[in-house]
Amino acid sequence: MRSLNPQTQNPFPKPRTQNPEPSKPKALVLYGYGLNCDHETAFALKQAGAQALRVHTSDLLHNPALLWDYHLLAIPGGFSWGDDHGAGVILALRLKIALGEALHDFVQDGRLVIGICNGFQVLVNLGLLPALPGRRGKRLAALITNDCGNFRDAWVHLKTLPSPCIFTQGLARLELPIRHGEGKFFTTPDILAELQENQQIVLQYATPEGQPAAGRFPDNPNGSLLDIAGLCDPTGRVLGLMPHPEAYIFATHHPHWTLDKERYRRQGRPYPQREGAGLTFFKNAVNYLASRFAL
Amino acid sequence: MAVRLEIGWRPDLVDAEGLALCRQAKEYFDFDIASARVLRVLTLDLDLHPSELESIRQEVFTHPVTQISGFTPLARDFDWAVWVGLRPGVRDTAGAVALEAIAAYLGRSLPPKAAVFTSKLFLLQGAPLNRVQVERLARELLANDLIQEFRLFSREEWDPTTGLGLIIPRVELHHQPSVAVFELDSVDTLRKLSEDRHLALRDQDLPIIWHYFHRPEVKDRRAQVGLGPPTDVELEYLAQARSDHCNHNTFRGRFIYRDLATGEEMVLDNPFKQCIEAPTRWLANRKEWVVSVLWDNAGVGHFDEEHCYVIKGETHNSPSNLEAYGGSLTGIVGVYRDPLGTGRGARLIGGLYGFCTGPRHYAGPLNPRLHPRRLLDGVIAGVKDGGNKSGVPTVNGFLYFDESYLGKSLVFVGALGIMPYELQGQPGSAKSARPGDLLLMCGGRVGKDGIHGVTASSEVSSPGTPAGHVQIGDPYTQKKMHDFLLEARDAGWLNFITDCGGGGLSSAVGEAARLAGGAEVWLDKVPLKYKGLDPWEIWVSESQERMIVAIAPENQGLFLELARKHEVEAKSIGRFTDTGVLLLRFHGRPCAHIDLSLLEQDFPPWEFEAEWLAPAMRLSEPVLGEVADQRALLLAMLDRPNVCSRAWITRQYDYEVQGTSVIKPLIGRATPIPADAAVLRPLLHSNRGLAVSLALNPAFSRIDTYHMVAVTIDETVRRLLSVGGDLDHIGGVDNFCWPSVEYHPQKNPDGKYKAAQLVRAVWALRDMCLAYGVPLLSGKDSMYVDGLLPGAFGEIHRVSGLPTLFFTAVSVIQDVHRAVTPDLKNPGDLIYLLGDTRPELGGSEFYELLGYTGLSVPVVRPQEFLPYYRCLTQAIQGGLVASARGLYRGGLGVHLALVSLAGGLGVGVDLSDLLPQAPAYAALYSESAGRFLVSIAPQHQREFEALFQGQPLTCLGEVRPDQFFRVSRGGRTLIETSLSALQAAWQRRFGQLI
Repeated sequence: MRSLNPQTQNPFPKPRTQNPEPSKPKALVLYGYGLNCDHETAFALKQAGAQALRVHTSDLLHNPALLWDYHLLAIPGGFSWGDDHGAGVILALRLKIALGEALHDFVQDGRLVIGICNGFQVLVNLGLLPALPGRRGKRLAALITNDCGNFRDAWVHLKTLPSPCIFTQGLARLELPIRHGEGKFFTTPDILAELQENQQIVLQYATPEGQPAAGRFPDNPNGSLLDIAGLCDPTGRVLGLMPHPEAYIFATHHPHWTLDKERYRRQGRPYPQREGAGLTFFKNAVNYLASRFAL
Repeated sequence: MAVRLEIGWRPDLVDAEGLALCRQAKEYFDFDIASARVLRVLTLDLDLHPSELESIRQEVFTHPVTQISGFTPLARDFDWAVWVGLRPGVRDTAGAVALEAIAAYLGRSLPPKAAVFTSKLFLLQGAPLNRVQVERLARELLANDLIQEFRLFSREEWDPTTGLGLIIPRVELHHQPSVAVFELDSVDTLRKLSEDRHLALRDQDLPIIWHYFHRPEVKDRRAQVGLGPPTDVELEYLAQARSDHCNHNTFRGRFIYRDLATGEEMVLDNPFKQCIEAPTRWLANRKEWVVSVLWDNAGVGHFDEEHCYVIKGETHNSPSNLEAYGGSLTGIVGVYRDPLGTGRGARLIGGLYGFCTGPRHYAGPLNPRLHPRRLLDGVIAGVKDGGNKSGVPTVNGFLYFDESYLGKSLVFVGALGIMPYELQGQPGSAKSARPGDLLLMCGGRVGKDGIHGVTASSEVSSPGTPAGHVQIGDPYTQKKMHDFLLEARDAGWLNFITDCGGGGLSSAVGEAARLAGGAEVWLDKVPLKYKGLDPWEIWVSESQERMIVAIAPENQGLFLELARKHEVEAKSIGRFTDTGVLLLRFHGRPCAHIDLSLLEQDFPPWEFEAEWLAPAMRLSEPVLGEVADQRALLLAMLDRPNVCSRAWITRQYDYEVQGTSVIKPLIGRATPIPADAAVLRPLLHSNRGLAVSLALNPAFSRIDTYHMVAVTIDETVRRLLSVGGDLDHIGGVDNFCWPSVEYHPQKNPDGKYKAAQLVRAVWALRDMCLAYGVPLLSGKDSMYVDGLLPGAFGEIHRVSGLPTLFFTAVSVIQDVHRAVTPDLKNPGDLIYLLGDTRPELGGSEFYELLGYTGLSVPVVRPQEFLPYYRCLTQAIQGGLVASARGLYRGGLGVHLALVSLAGGLGVGVDLSDLLPQAPAYAALYSESAGRFLVSIAPQHQREFEALFQGQPLTCLGEVRPDQFFRVSRGGRTLIETSLSALQAAWQRRFGQLI
């Protein structure tokens, strides 16, 4: 039997391989075993200026050293291993067994991790989030069945809170789609207080006017405590969120883009092929990595 | 020793599944249950040390913050406990995943006998129910007795130390597999055999099969491989292949059509060939974008220089009527294998759905197996889990209620895919197994599930239908296989690929063998879920998530290595030959030897008498005066079950995964309304779009199925044009769902009329496809939309569904930024009606509201419509159009209200010019085809009107800056209402559902 205590196990060496395209940060996007947002997440990272590769989960599990070829690990949305034993539970288990301390070291080294939707659920089960001081690697929070009782696809209003999070720098209010059945953030009151104190709450569900959703459906689509939609670790280099930033890259992703287009037309202006707010998450990551690793 | 692990939410947490249970118990049965909690049960049938078990419990299966668990019973306070688990042999994916996780956690492989079984324990508190009531709850809500079993425990019966006990649904078949041989001394013996074995062979096929096995040259060749009289494998195979489901005997039949009014008689030989194949071939020769039609699992059209799109539509009616959730889930997951099995494989990019059921609140005397509300809840959830877990966006769908679907509900599922135009120097849409290639089966294993599915869906649904043909799809297993096979395709290893659907291996391999020129299959090599299957069962089983591929022997090693990486099971089970024969072996011994040519030729067409009675001889127009309260009428129309909002369904489906969505299924910032069509950007690096629309109009079948089909096709065309589709590139998919057309004086006395309805429908299909230039890229027919239902006194009624065509249409959009949506955009914009409004209220929603059918069915006039369809496209491409909406069910009144609601902007329109001689209700609710509502910015007025010179374009009024909806006519106000009143009416019916 393997020990899952992250403090005692780190069997893997850290070969820091050369980056073949040195000007661009490299991003690893996991796929396989039921994950399903890998193509668009890789695309978003590329649009943001990263070199993004889809890597099969089996390849990473069998060759954990692979991780060190990359500056960013993205765990995209989907239904890993069918999600029948709690969303993200089995993928988290597999990563924990295969990678042990490596993920922690990866973050400590200044690299980034983003988990979106199912990926967020994985990070929470890995204990990479919230990774409160002295309790990293512990499962302190969970994403459980939406209060509305069903899977839901809808665009939500979000606001960012002051946090060390790299990905959301410069963002204040934005809209993104949520698409999940298990997205209610849940933890104990003391952990919630700590999260607030440490400024680890990155994104909250809000009203269209930017006020807190205050738990009310449908502004808060799942009943998340404190309207939490996204969370970072104390370093700000690990982000987990339920909404999908990779699904708002183009202006045409927005549900009301044709109205926006029409407004430009009325002013006699061409419709600019604007970027969606989701791209900012990935651009922030690329900019940070480029400067951090002097790429 | 096996142990049982129970897991539940911490008592202070809400149990969402329990809440849903209480709600449904109230809704379905009027049972009051104060609260319910659900425990997940894992029965671990493996030998582990107690310390290992404890670690697994804590580290793998229990979340420390939210869950509690234990190896001793957790259940304490309850009135009733209901345990529900899968029947032996039903695929338990969660159990398999749990077993894998345990092995990974322990870091060692587990013995082959080790297994984990998952089940649930429902604990009902404050439930003043008796045993009979709880049993009803268990049977009808918690468990589906076709795939699950249940046990009840009252508080008194519950032993808190042993709890559930250990329930291990392991399949132990103590059956020695064998091949049976049948001496057929006469055709009658064969007939008797067909009945005994539920082969559903038709009388006229019997002599042909009998003669085949008695031909001297056949006997000689069979003798050479050691075979004598036919085997069970062969007869089961022939029954599958000859079933109407696989062979489309109805659509390839011979129809003697007689118009009873005129006495005119004509013969339609093979409607498929004449009305589907011929027009499609004719169009395919003239439209360069048509790539591959009429032979493969799905149709293929050009998308851009480097890619093709793939499209397919299916219905999964019979299984969904027996087990709603599993049936529809299996349907959507199954249709996704069609694009994957087209050419050398396409990546899935979109899913479609459509449900036709009895009224959700049906309270009449008929008693279908599942009440429409339960059936609907089930089929909605099945498509949700099947589609969402496949990682494919569910981009478009519809729901239609009619009492005629109480007999059999319809579940339509569709799929879109994309493939490279060229792969390894060959068209991506081409495939052929070559003699010498290995035949491999990939994906799931084979069990007894699904045996006799195809032959059962070729029979009328009745209380005696064997239930064993229900299968449960597993999107997780299939998603892994999808990812794997596409990588194998890109590596150049796949010479041929097809899916195992209806008929299982027999149908898939049979088809592959015909293309290759022969095949040999080793049935003992097929991976099984459990031992003890007879060879014939292996051959026809419909166990899910399987594809077969042909690969060159030298690529087998690499192919299997890639399969292991993806954790997909793949195994070589035969090889392709050039013998012209399908040879099956079991442990080396031949058990079937069939000439491939047998299935292609020797069978006579089925024959049908068709008698048409013209609508004017059956129906008349109602005598109806003008409506006094038009406002109340509009609100009532918006509240109609077939008009009102069903956003609750749409939002359960992930329509945005893959990041491709451009026009989503719900449109409008104020009140989301259904879009006319979905638009996708399937390749993220390109601005090119793919538009897809759906329509059905079964209500018009009550008058004339010719017009039902014509209106439906016109509607899909207009839906595409409304979003900016290209009139020169429209592909169609026809899915026919029809009641039985076989006349029987007692059992189906109007069979001849139904046959005539079918003839008229396919004539319209041919005429419209040619008129609009729409080749049929794919399609399918599902006959026998009939059910036998007990009534109030136990008497059995035959209930036949309305003849129904689901039509799907697809088009390409050069630049997605040109796409248009239906919501009104800006106050002051001008609102136009494009197309003529005629007094065509026959079969309309308005007449239906008043209880009438009428006679004046909408007529499609392509030659009249097409010129202004082209103008509209020009206006959209030229950027003149702010919003566009086709007029469909409910007519102008309903759709004007919807575009106003979507934009959150009122309107002021005047209808004086529409049918001035007719009552106002005709202008508002006629369902004339060929019409659009368009709004434009006032500065474009001259250019826009000039473009439509000489076309039926009427300016109705303008968009208002406020929230008021005003309609006038002849100087009088017809309707004046607030948008909030319209919204309330439109959302009231299903607005509480989530």
